[in-house]
Amino acid sequence: MKKVWMVLLAVLGLAGLALAQTTVRVGVLLPISTVAGKAALNGVQLGVDQVNAGGKVKIELVVVDDGNAPATAVPALTKLMTVDRVDIVIGGLASGVTFALSGPVKQYQPLFLCIGAASSVVEQAFSDYGRFFHYHPWDYHNVAAALEFFKYLYDQGARRVAILYEDGPFGSAGIQTYRQQLERQGYTVQAEPFKSGSGNFTAILTRFKGFRPDILYWIGYDVDALPIAAQTRQVGLEPKLIYGAPPAWPTGFEKNNLSNDVAGMTAWLPSVANNESRRFVNLYRRKFGEVTDEYMAPMGYVIALSLGKALEAAGSTDKDRIAAELAKVQMETPFGPLSFKPSDTGRTRFQGFNQNIWLQFQYLEGSRRPVFPASRAARPLRFPGNY
Amino acid sequence: MELLLQTIINGILAAGIYALVASGLALAVGVVGIVNFAHGEFTMIGAFIAYLLFVSTGLDPFLSLGLAALVLFMVGAITYLGLIRPVLAAPELNQMLLTFGLSVALQNIALLVFGADTRVVSTSYQGATLALGGLSFGVPPLLAFALSVVILGALYGFLDRTRLGLAVRAVAQNRLAPGLLGIETQRVYLLAFGLSAALAGVAGVMLSVMLYASPTVGFAYTLKAFAIIVMAGLGNLRGVVPAAITLAMAEALVSTYVPGGGGWVEAVFFLVIFVTLTWRSWRAA
Amino acid sequence: MILVGLLLLVALVLPGLPLGEWRAFLLDTAQFAFLISALALAWDLLARTGQLSLAHGAFFGLGAYAAALTAPALGTLPALLVGGVVAGASSLFLGLATLRLHGMYFAIATLAFSEVMRTLVLKAPFTGGAIGLPVQPAFGGAFPLGGYYLAVGVLALAAGTSLLVSRSRLHYAMAATRQGEAVARVLGVPVVRVKLLAFMISAFLAGLAGGVYAMKTLFLSPYDAFGLGRAVEALVIPIFGGLYTTTGPLLGGLIIVSLETWLRLRIGEGYLVVYGVILVLTILFLPKGLVSLFRRKGVGHA
Repeated sequence: MKKVWMVLLAVLGLAGLALAQTTVRVGVLLPISTVAGKAALNGVQLGVDQVNAGGKVKIELVVVDDGNAPATAVPALTKLMTVDRVDIVIGGLASGVTFALSGPVKQYQPLFLCIGAASSVVEQAFSDYGRFFHYHPWDYHNVAAALEFFKYLYDQGARRVAILYEDGPFGSAGIQTYRQQLERQGYTVQAEPFKSGSGNFTAILTRFKGFRPDILYWIGYDVDALPIAAQTRQVGLEPKLIYGAPPAWPTGFEKNNLSNDVAGMTAWLPSVANNESRRFVNLYRRKFGEVTDEYMAPMGYVIALSLGKALEAAGSTDKDRIAAELAKVQMETPFGPLSFKPSDTGRTRFQGFNQNIWLQFQYLEGSRRPVFPASRAARPLRFPGNY
Repeated sequence: MELLLQTIINGILAAGIYALVASGLALAVGVVGIVNFAHGEFTMIGAFIAYLLFVSTGLDPFLSLGLAALVLFMVGAITYLGLIRPVLAAPELNQMLLTFGLSVALQNIALLVFGADTRVVSTSYQGATLALGGLSFGVPPLLAFALSVVILGALYGFLDRTRLGLAVRAVAQNRLAPGLLGIETQRVYLLAFGLSAALAGVAGVMLSVMLYASPTVGFAYTLKAFAIIVMAGLGNLRGVVPAAITLAMAEALVSTYVPGGGGWVEAVFFLVIFVTLTWRSWRAA
Repeated sequence: MILVGLLLLVALVLPGLPLGEWRAFLLDTAQFAFLISALALAWDLLARTGQLSLAHGAFFGLGAYAAALTAPALGTLPALLVGGVVAGASSLFLGLATLRLHGMYFAIATLAFSEVMRTLVLKAPFTGGAIGLPVQPAFGGAFPLGGYYLAVGVLALAAGTSLLVSRSRLHYAMAATRQGEAVARVLGVPVVRVKLLAFMISAFLAGLAGGVYAMKTLFLSPYDAFGLGRAVEALVIPIFGGLYTTTGPLLGGLIIVSLETWLRLRIGEGYLVVYGVILVLTILFLPKGLVSLFRRKGVGHA
């Protein structure tokens, strides 16, 4: 008889635990057939695994492909809100798609944890929406971080910048600001647009030859990295630094000799020396069997972890209580410390990271190494580089 | 003056790869009469063959040209026998939908297998350049150009001097008459479509050296290739090279001499085609 | 005819049906499906004269931009009309220039037009350029179902025009033009006028659809609005559904969009492989498109 009571007590105890555990369904809306979207999804799943393993709260993910297009993303969000009935959505990678989501988001009022969408057009679109948490820095942060690096390069003697920018939203967004700010720093600037993926830069680079730039600064995509590095040499441009700003770099580029001394900006590298980053890399390798270079992976991971923290603190599935706790979250992340403040323009209330997460790296001896700012540099910048 | 010369060289070198992709397509469109939307995917397969061989064995991509050509010839032949032959008599629009479906399927299979990543190979000569009296010739485009000349030369030789080649040309010029002359059109079609795919494969290998390998690598070039063969005139295999040079030259001139011209390159490319096509149609009247 | 009417009726009453939790999702998906079907119907109208257009993505985009830019000043309905008229006017120019081109030559010329237009919109000072253009919702967002019914309206207009044309004398003029312009001319068909008229009606409808699309996505970029993908979809749907009919593009559009959506939800990664295979199989086994299924059974004839 005693045994029966014991079992009963144990069962009741377990049931009690289960009841105390807060379970919440979270919608994930990402372009999962793109490299960045897939990385972001992996990161989110990794973070959710960790939160669930903690045992205090449980997150269930409902993943939907946003197709990287407004016409797919809008119905996908609607489905998350009305069919899956989630209160929390993680998503918003591409700016154009996120902008298109602003209408339905305001209509359904979810807690929206935005992973990308750097364009300040998006900031404006969500300016009157109180449940918008934007983790990624805004485009003006990106500009600020790059300009700091340019200031340093100016002190090293660089005077002329040739800018190659792709003529889509990504490359064109900050170009006027870059131009003005660089000229204010004392640089002479020439800027030329190009079509990303065309692979043909010889003509534009030949044109730049007369300008004799110290820095060749290109804003485009991974597909442009190798052609630019190769054709710069082919036309004999000989800049002192090739500095690129694509969202991702091509696989295998580090093994190519042409990548040597090429510099770039990223929010994170697997080699970043902080505990959270090391932990992330280990967990990621264990779950997916490889190391990722995509900073969207730790970004997704951070979003899931911060949400887990907020859930624990709120002890409820009410989105406003979760939001209130999320606003108070302070944590260490692979990118450095995270906390939410009103954005610099004051348009949105909860901005996570700012220009401080950006670091400048250089491809040196077959891998990317942080070279700027000095506080995070693993190596000195090789300037002038040898191209 | 030197800038102008260099620009002309840039244009001609760029035309090599255009001509190669377009010649393959011209065989499919001009001889078999199939608007092959999947031509870009054949190119993509070629690029991945070169990439995978490079990663697994360290083989220089240019050495995988033969294998890529062979594999793609088979892919082309299988595609022809399995999918194209049954719709040869169908309306042109049906054929287009079929190859479009094939293109979507192939591209997304690649996406599933390899992911969307952009992958690059590394060779010693990717950034190498030959300097000649103040003018510079990039080695990979030069190689690609030379190879295009050789391959297209061989192709034209084959078309001009062999019996089978003459049969192919006869079919290109008139798709009805050869049957009356006792030429086995089916065999000619099979050969032409296989060759078309093989040329796409060769172009893909070159793209893997000059650009990258990814599921979407073939798209941009195929679009332009369509434009080039139409500008040359369907069925006019020889017109492909001059058309490619004209267009590549227009691109090079615009991006070298027009400030901000890089953003207008595509528009100029297509404007040249638009004007040529319409002007020609009105002049002929 | 009956099938077309039935489909439109369903579209009309769909928001009132007890759809449960899927309601909002269905309405959103349906709205995009209606617009793309309207575009396909418009494309098919031109195809009846034998012209294979790749410019319909551009007409859609021009309509979208024109409506988006004029809506704040003119209001929703006049702005949509402006969008249609701009698209129609541009088609007049394109149609005149390409009057003597056929088949692939015509297709590539329209593709070229489309690419040039995209660059112009990208570079124009008043379109928001590459960064994109925010758009006001239809009727300033006053009616939640306003956008939906606009889409139904555009679809009905496209289907109605398509039906009307196939019952008018224009139908025979178009068919004659398609089968051979020289012969048509001998038969007394004013070929030039027929072609231009078809082009303008078709582009006008495409422009209307584009305008409603803009007011739904609330954001336009040249890459989305002028995407080649949409031009290709406009031709894929009628072939899939059945060329030179009204039922074909209408049914084809609804089925293709539903199929794609369903596959994406069910399969997720790699769903487009299945989509591509289905297109291939359709051509191999249903060469006359979906409508041939109905024809054989003698149901519906439009």
